[in-house]
Amino acid sequence: MSPISESYSHVSIPFIVSSHGDRSSLKNTNHQFPEETSRGLFASNSKLLRFCLNLTLRSNPSLFLDSSPPSGFSQFIGESANIYFIHSNFAFSFSNAAGMKEKKSATASTLGRILATCSKQAKDYGSCVASKVHEVERDICLKEFLALKNCMQHTRHLSALLNMISSSQSSVGSGALSHVYIQNPPLRCNIPESRGLFYDDANRLLICTTSSQIFSWQTAPFNPDVSPSVDSISEGPILSIRFSLDKKAIAVQRSDCEIQLFHRETKQILSHKCKAGSESILGFFWSDSPLCDLAIVKTSGMDLFACDSMLNLRLVETKKVNVNWYIYTHETRLVLLASGLQCKTITGFQLSTAGVVRLPRFEMTMAKPESNSKPILSSGDVHLVTVYGRIYCLQVDREAMLLHSYRFYRDAVVQQGSLPIYSSKLSVSVVDNLLLVHQIDAKVVIIYDLFVDSRAPVSAPLPLLWRGNQGSGTSSEAAIKENESSESSTSNGNIVMYEDAWTFLVPDLILDQTNKVLWRVHLDLEASWLLLAISASSSDRTSLLEFLQRRKLEANKAKQLCLGIAKDIILERRPATQVTQAIDVLVTAYSYSVKAGTFKEIKNEQTTAATPAVGASPDNERHVPSESSIDEEVEMNLPSGSEVNMFCADEQPESQLSSPAISPDELYKFVFASVEELMVEESEYLVAIITEFLRSISAEKLKVDLNVYVMTIRLLAYSKRFAELSLFTTNKIIEPSKEVALQLLESGRQNLRVRKLGLDMLRQLSLHHDYISSLVQDGYYLEALRYAQKHKVTSVRSSLFLEAAFASNDLQHLAAILRVLSELIPGFKETSEYFTFYGLLSETGSSVAL
Amino acid sequence: MASTSSGDESLRLCMFDLRRGQTEGQELDKILFFHPADLDFSTQLSVIGLSEGLITFTRLFSPEAACEVIEAERHSHVFYEAEPDIWMVMVVEKNKETGAIWRIDALRRVLKEVHSLFVMFHGSIRALIEIEPTGGLTRSQLYPFITDYLSSKPFSPNLAHGIFILFPSFNTFNITNCQHFKSGLALKTAAVVNCSNLFVGKKLQLPNFRETLRERGTVKMLTLARDTALEVQSLVQVLDSCAGNLRCHSMVLFQDLLVSTTLSADDTVNLFTFAVMRLTSQALSSGASSWSYLRKGTGSSEVSSRSTSAPLDSLHSGSGGNHMHNVIRPLQNDKWTKGKDGFLMTDIWGLETGGSPDSAIPTVWLQQTQERVYLLAYQYKRLTLLLLMPTTSIVNGDLSVSAVKQQFIEDASLRVLKIEEKISRGWGGENAYHVKGYRYLVVDNDMEVSRASPSGKVTTLAKETLLALNKLREEVDVEKSRAKRQEKDLEICIRAKNNAWVIARVTRGKELYMALEKASDTLLDAADAVGTFSNRYCSGAFLMG
Repeated sequence: MSPISESYSHVSIPFIVSSHGDRSSLKNTNHQFPEETSRGLFASNSKLLRFCLNLTLRSNPSLFLDSSPPSGFSQFIGESANIYFIHSNFAFSFSNAAGMKEKKSATASTLGRILATCSKQAKDYGSCVASKVHEVERDICLKEFLALKNCMQHTRHLSALLNMISSSQSSVGSGALSHVYIQNPPLRCNIPESRGLFYDDANRLLICTTSSQIFSWQTAPFNPDVSPSVDSISEGPILSIRFSLDKKAIAVQRSDCEIQLFHRETKQILSHKCKAGSESILGFFWSDSPLCDLAIVKTSGMDLFACDSMLNLRLVETKKVNVNWYIYTHETRLVLLASGLQCKTITGFQLSTAGVVRLPRFEMTMAKPESNSKPILSSGDVHLVTVYGRIYCLQVDREAMLLHSYRFYRDAVVQQGSLPIYSSKLSVSVVDNLLLVHQIDAKVVIIYDLFVDSRAPVSAPLPLLWRGNQGSGTSSEAAIKENESSESSTSNGNIVMYEDAWTFLVPDLILDQTNKVLWRVHLDLEASWLLLAISASSSDRTSLLEFLQRRKLEANKAKQLCLGIAKDIILERRPATQVTQAIDVLVTAYSYSVKAGTFKEIKNEQTTAATPAVGASPDNERHVPSESSIDEEVEMNLPSGSEVNMFCADEQPESQLSSPAISPDELYKFVFASVEELMVEESEYLVAIITEFLRSISAEKLKVDLNVYVMTIRLLAYSKRFAELSLFTTNKIIEPSKEVALQLLESGRQNLRVRKLGLDMLRQLSLHHDYISSLVQDGYYLEALRYAQKHKVTSVRSSLFLEAAFASNDLQHLAAILRVLSELIPGFKETSEYFTFYGLLSETGSSVAL
Repeated sequence: MASTSSGDESLRLCMFDLRRGQTEGQELDKILFFHPADLDFSTQLSVIGLSEGLITFTRLFSPEAACEVIEAERHSHVFYEAEPDIWMVMVVEKNKETGAIWRIDALRRVLKEVHSLFVMFHGSIRALIEIEPTGGLTRSQLYPFITDYLSSKPFSPNLAHGIFILFPSFNTFNITNCQHFKSGLALKTAAVVNCSNLFVGKKLQLPNFRETLRERGTVKMLTLARDTALEVQSLVQVLDSCAGNLRCHSMVLFQDLLVSTTLSADDTVNLFTFAVMRLTSQALSSGASSWSYLRKGTGSSEVSSRSTSAPLDSLHSGSGGNHMHNVIRPLQNDKWTKGKDGFLMTDIWGLETGGSPDSAIPTVWLQQTQERVYLLAYQYKRLTLLLLMPTTSIVNGDLSVSAVKQQFIEDASLRVLKIEEKISRGWGGENAYHVKGYRYLVVDNDMEVSRASPSGKVTTLAKETLLALNKLREEVDVEKSRAKRQEKDLEICIRAKNNAWVIARVTRGKELYMALEKASDTLLDAADAVGTFSNRYCSGAFLMG
């Protein structure tokens, strides 16, 4: 069988159970990750992963379709889509089964068998999905899925497991697993007589207005229980409302020609009006650029005002553009002004702390419809997002059913390619630098990672889930408590997914205007990892690791997953080149994060060799990775305050890790050391991998735990590769140290040459005491004594030499040693030892002169 | 310069099997090899008879280790028991005037080396005899092999040049490719005699006192920086997995220095010796530089091959001709060329086009694992990579050699290029291991590794110094053989006639020989100089009280 199946024996189901069973302890101990638990966690994941991969790629490569493993988006949308669907369901159910402590040790293979039996149904389902991908929607191919399920239920062995599937999926056919969910409870703004809900993205405030009052909730960090602060303002219509960046003033747009400013302390009111008739105010925003404090966008252009503490506005500059509509996000500090008949000519300005930058004017791409009408771009079709510190503009092209992306540079706007869309209504969120595209009509979310060049989605389109209170942990096992069905009513009120009244706020909030609640969009890293792993071809672990290493929000989880993957690929005996790539990814990521100062070691570690943990407090870390600085792109000089808010938002204490980077020590401890025992028979393979690891470490000029060397020696000696061991030592691939030398001595019990390497190393390190003791142990007491004499080492017990000489029955030696020792050690002649051996000498009546 | 002894008188080298020819009239059967081959059988037998008698006699007293050497008035007889009951004896003339002053251990190492190399290519002699009890096969392989070995070019290319110029008759040697070998005809003793006639006019390379700062049967290592070593190791791992699941062995050389090996020490030494003789870029280029020579000589060699083949054929037909042996001469000179793909090619094992494509791939035996492996050599500039692939991997039909080559080029060629660059950048050149003021030889018997002053520097030593050093080494050899198993510490300092110091230090398997010509008068200063050397270049291994 393939090596994969062998590795099953190492990862046993009880681990999975224990991992789930220990969930509470896992949560409570915060950073303390009991090794057992974490291992269990990996085990369960790897188990699932391997199972899925096994199904897809190994045991039944043609189980569903004859298509090759998918890699690109087209393929994904093509025939192989079913693989994702089916597998995501199974994988999930399976994890539930384990969570329910159904000890089915051989589940993987049994399930494989069942799938083999039901291959026809599976195939039907697959081709159905494939044929309907263009109408991606929930309950896709329900009939076929039911048939498949039915078939499986009639296969004996696993009825229990299948019950589990059913119970976990109350509405069959809809993927109960999802990578994106909104978390209960939401932030509620139950203000009676509320007239409107607004979101101030600069201050991250949810604002609810009544006729005379303003309630504002801090949304970052996201806390449903936060109480609003209240301001009172004069009555009047409110078209839009924003707090000033210092929150001392509130600006309210009263009409299309009037903006009122309220000073929150002095209650001073100031009105700003524009020329009625000739132009009208489209909106306004506060700015922290040195030039101006307030920008007002009008149909005739944009006015920039400086505002003093008395709220006196002084016009600084006017940018004359005909504006049909505009969009602005404080996150990007970017304002896009749309003009032209189709509203697709865009003029952009960035009002950052570095000043005001005018972007080159550009045209959005709009496909021509068949009819002669010209579509008009609306502001709702354009989204500004920040991913990995890069600023993108995403534009919906309904005619072509494409989402065009543009990337902003300081002096250019470059179209980056397009993503297909499956819904005429569309919105986007950004969570942890991943782009979530909500296909509102189809009620599914597709995740993209814009970091990679490929425009392939990270995982299958799956519905947005609503997750209950209990599942604060985002791991998939919590999903059993989820309210799976999006339609189902709950005591919490009627939540209809993707309701018309939903407004998607930058970057990751959803405002439900009807229910007056604010949701935050979460990403289930584990689930998306799982899906990604399934979709990724087996060799694609590298990109998987890269993906995980880019995650910041749930750094800890990403880190654990990475460790799990690294361990798995070794246990699965992947070709060394693949493992090398994976290790390279991890080491480079670590090296980078150390340089960037974001790396923080797992707490409660007892590392023997402390790696300099360049600990940066999470407060001042930049969430913008280095990539942002590579390109000459628009700077986003975010005020540090808002940034803090962005990242303290996680409820999970364990995710205080700021970076998923894995230090070499951790790699050793959680990966190499933990597989050593399992793989001792394949020490050659392991040595190959460790060498690559060392090479990678050395290329990044990092340090590595001594134990890696000790382990390497052990492995080489185990496989009797003494030639290489001596090469490793002489070339200093294994760096000399006392521990290494002692291991060489230890391994040298079988091989004198190796032992000599250890002795030589001790001597080179000037570890005189150990060197002399080892020499004596080997019977070279004369050499040892000579060495001691030369280096004036007196710490070695003199009896060692004497006993060795006596044992060798060489009285001449004994006499010589006595003489040397009396010279070497002051007062030796007075010791009892001296008398004992002197006595022995004279007793035997030797003629040796002392 | 290497000593020159013309084939006739001064050198006799024989190999015989004590288990054969025990009945009267069958004595000739003992002889597996005799040089010079044209010596009449009675002389041959008298040499072997004397040796046999001595062996039998000395075994009475020392069954484990019989006779090692006989020092006669005019000759030294060096004994080496290559395999149980298979002995090699070398008789060299003592001639102080011609400078032919031998160190017995060095001569024995020659015997040992030629035997090890033979075993590497052909398997053990005992096994050969068992395959074909008449001994014809063994003889037909041994004769050209030892002949080729003895007529090997010296290691240094400059010297090789000298030889070529001095002895243009060398190129007649090209006949070694005699058609009768290729056509797989059997060669009986008498037949081979003709080929070994090629000795005539050839210079034999025996280690004399001028080579005293060199140790045969050891490997010279290249010292690598850590990051380079890691790169190399990474490459080695790629090489290891070239043949899929079966682990390959590999060896990497830079010039004539060993960079990396995954073989056991003994196998490494054998293969290293062979590679330096025939495969490294230097070995190839020295062949290339004499290329025009050989081409010029092709005509004559054809003639001579025709002239020699006639009696061979007649002899062969007379002897029945039912032994079809393919005589392979792995040590033949100038038989390797670099192909377009970077792999070295040879037709020693036959032509790749004829028959099964893999039968023409060189194979060697590994002592450690007792398996036969394919030898693939790849060369990029000064870097030579030897890939040893288990023959079973091909026999099973999983792989073909060309597929492995292709795999290698895909996986490794880029790395090879980078590593060559990296090593070249860090390499100090021919005199990299020269230490000013010292002429030295360091031998690590455990690792079978040695390092010595570059030969160009050694030649600057006065003859007296070299002779003294040779004598000193002889002393140490004696001391070592007395101590036998037990590793003893030893130090000898000798003041030579020309006031140079020659010093030997032996400690726990490591040996240091040194000549100091410009050292001051006192022994203390000389000892200090050695101490400094030991600390700086041998990590303090040769500490003496």
